[in-house]
Amino acid sequence: MSAMTPSNAPTFDADLIARYDISGPRYTSYPAAPEFQAGFGEADYKAAARASNEDPIPRRLSLYVHVPFCFSPCFYCGCTRIITRDRSKADSYLAGLHREIERTAPLFDRDRKVVQLHLGGGTPNFLDARQMGELMESIDSHFSLAREEAREAGIELDPRGVDADYVRMLAGHGFNRVSVGVQDFDPAVQAAVNRVQSVDETRRVLDAAREHGFRSTSIDLIYGLPRQSPPSFARTLDEVIALRPDRIAAYGYAHMPGRFRAQRQIDAAELPDSATRLALLGLTIATLTAAGYRYIGMDHFALPDDELAQAQDHGTLQRNFQGYSTHGACDMIGLGVSAIGRVGDAFTQNAKDLVGYYAALDAGRLPVARGLRLSEDDHIRADLIQRIMCNGVVDIAAFEARHPIDFSVYFAPELRELRRLAADGLVVVTPARIAATSRGRLLLRIIAMCFDAYLANPGASAAKYSKAL
Amino acid sequence: MSLDNRAGRTPQRNPVADDGDAIHFCSTCAFGSVCLPAGVDKTALQELHCLVEHAGPYQAGEHIFRNGEHFGAIFAVRGGTVKTCLVDDDGREQVLGFHLPGEMIGLNAIHPAKYPCDAVSLDTVYVCRFSFPALATLATRMPGIQQQLFRLLSQDIGKASLLAGDHSADERLAAFLVGIADRYAARGFSATAFRLSMARGDIANYLRLAAETVSRVLRRFQDQGLIAVDGRDVTLADPHSLRHLARNIVVHR
Repeated sequence: MSAMTPSNAPTFDADLIARYDISGPRYTSYPAAPEFQAGFGEADYKAAARASNEDPIPRRLSLYVHVPFCFSPCFYCGCTRIITRDRSKADSYLAGLHREIERTAPLFDRDRKVVQLHLGGGTPNFLDARQMGELMESIDSHFSLAREEAREAGIELDPRGVDADYVRMLAGHGFNRVSVGVQDFDPAVQAAVNRVQSVDETRRVLDAAREHGFRSTSIDLIYGLPRQSPPSFARTLDEVIALRPDRIAAYGYAHMPGRFRAQRQIDAAELPDSATRLALLGLTIATLTAAGYRYIGMDHFALPDDELAQAQDHGTLQRNFQGYSTHGACDMIGLGVSAIGRVGDAFTQNAKDLVGYYAALDAGRLPVARGLRLSEDDHIRADLIQRIMCNGVVDIAAFEARHPIDFSVYFAPELRELRRLAADGLVVVTPARIAATSRGRLLLRIIAMCFDAYLANPGASAAKYSKAL
Repeated sequence: MSLDNRAGRTPQRNPVADDGDAIHFCSTCAFGSVCLPAGVDKTALQELHCLVEHAGPYQAGEHIFRNGEHFGAIFAVRGGTVKTCLVDDDGREQVLGFHLPGEMIGLNAIHPAKYPCDAVSLDTVYVCRFSFPALATLATRMPGIQQQLFRLLSQDIGKASLLAGDHSADERLAAFLVGIADRYAARGFSATAFRLSMARGDIANYLRLAAETVSRVLRRFQDQGLIAVDGRDVTLADPHSLRHLARNIVVHR
C-alpha cells in the first residue's frame, strides 16, 4: 500500500485550517489517554500480560522509561516532570524503577525479545553516566534484549549539559537514535520560555551522535511560542535544516495554563495570534518540504530515506505514544512515573506523581494507576483511526476483511458526518475507500475524530484536549 | 459501546454451526447425515431431536464435564473450541486434544460410565448434549443411528496421535495446522483462515514442545511465507508446502 507519495504532499489551506482549529485528541492512542479509567489496576495489567504471552507468536516488547527530572523549567512544557538540581533524587528514582522492573519483567515470557527501547522525559540526560549504567544493567538483567543491531534504542536529550563523552557513553549502551529538543533558536523566544540554548551546543550533540554510529537524529520544534514571528522562525528553520536531522517534529504550542502550571509563567499577550500561528505553520511546511523533508503526518517530517518515510511507503507506519513508529507490532511496557503502556488488549498508565508511584512500590504493588481494556468496538475504531493518521487512506474492503463488520452499515452515522468534511474538501469518500485530500492531510485528526466513539459529547471533551493545530 | 448493539456487525470469523430446528439438524451435526438417505420416518426423526439438548454458552475456562464425573451424555461442539485434558496430582496439565464445531466429546466415557478427562471451553462454547441412554435405546430401533455411532467411535479410536512418532517440531506444527484446517474444511468452513482459540501453552503441551519452540517454528514458517499470523488469526499461505512437511504424520480427521 503506497498511500503517501510526494505527489500527495499536503496543501496548506489557511482558511480551511482556521475553520477546523478545534480541540481534539492527537490519537497517539485510541481510546485517547484521558479516557483511561481509574478502576483499572494491577490485576487487570497482570491478566493482560498473561494473555499476551499466549498468542501463537507473542508480540515482541518495546520499553518506554520515563525520567521525570529537569534542571530548569521550560515554561511551555505540559509533560510530567520535576524541577531539581539535586541529582541524588535520581538515585531514589532509579531504585524505584529497579523494583518496578523486577516486578514487571517476570510477567512477560523470556522468549519475548525487547526490540525497542525509548527513554523520555522530563530530561533523560538528568541521569549521569553511572546512573544510566545502572538503569541499563537493570533492564538488561531482567528482560531479554534483542541483539544490538536488531534493537532500536532512542533517547530524548536536552543538549544543555550533554557533551561528546556522554554521547559516547550512550552509544556504548546501544543507543542508536537521538531526539534533541530545540523548540526555537531565537534568543528573545528562548528567554520568554526559559530555555536558552545555542545552535553550537545543539550541533555538537548531533555531530557526536553521528560520529558514534547513531542511525537517526531528530529535532523537536514548537511553533506558537511567545514572541515568535514568521521572519524569526524562518531563521530557526534555516538553522535546523543546516543541521540536517533525519526527522523534525514541529509541534503547535497549546496554551493551557489551567492544566499546566509552568505555562502560567508565559505572558499570554506575547503569544502569536491565530493568524500568525497559521502563518508559522504554513512557513514550516513550505520550508521543510522545500528542503527535501517529507511530511509524514500531524507534526512530523522525515527525510525520504528515513525509516519513517519508508514505512509510510510500505503501509507499515504506526502511530504510538512517541508520535509515529515503525514498531507497531510490539507490546509496549511503560516504566516510571506517569508512563503509558499498551499490552495486548489493554492500555495502562502509572501513577502520575512520585508519591503515588513510590507508595505502590513500597506496598509491593505495580504502580498502575489507570488503564482501559479495549472492547471489540475500540479495536475496530483504533485500527481505522490508525489508518487515517498514518496513511490518510482507508481501503474499505481490506478493512472489512480484518473485522467482522459491514462498513457502510456499522459506520453509517460516521459516514454521514464525513460527508460534511467531504463537502469542505478534506476527504474523498467512495464505497471503496476513504482518502484524505492534500488539503485534508494537515487535518487528519479532524477526519479521525468522526470515528471517535468517546466524543459523543464534544463540549465535555474540549477541555481535555488541545486544539487541532 | 457494545458491538452487539450496533448494526452492521457480520458473523464472527470463527464458525458457529447454524441452529437446527424440529425438522432440520444443525449444519455440522454428527447425526445430520443419519436419517435422510435412509428414509427414516418423521416420528423417528423427531424422537432423535427430542433427545438432543442445546447447552451453553460456556465462557472461556468453564468445564463441560470433569474427570471422574458420571457419564450420562456425549456432546457435539456446536460453536467454539473445547480442550480435553488431564490434570495430575501435582497440578500438571496434559492436553489430550482440541475439539472444533461438529466434533464429538465424551465418546471415550461409555465404559466404565465415567468421564476420563476434563473438557474445558477455550472461548465461548455452545454444545449439543445427547443423552446416552436415550440415544442407545433409539439406536436399537434406528440402524442409521447405530451405524453412525460405530463410525464415530471408530474415528475416535483411530485418531492418530501427532505425538506417537519421533517427529521434529516442524513436522508436528505443520501437521497440527494442516489438521485443524482439514477439520474446519470437512465441515464447510474456511480451510485456509482460522482463529486459534488455544493458548500457545496449550498447543505446546499438546505437541509436547516448549512454548518458545512453538513460537520460533511458527515465526520461521511465517518468514518462509508458509503462514501469516496476526494475533490468534492464522492464514495458511502455502498449504501445499505445509502438507509436504507434515507428510510423515497421519493427520486425523
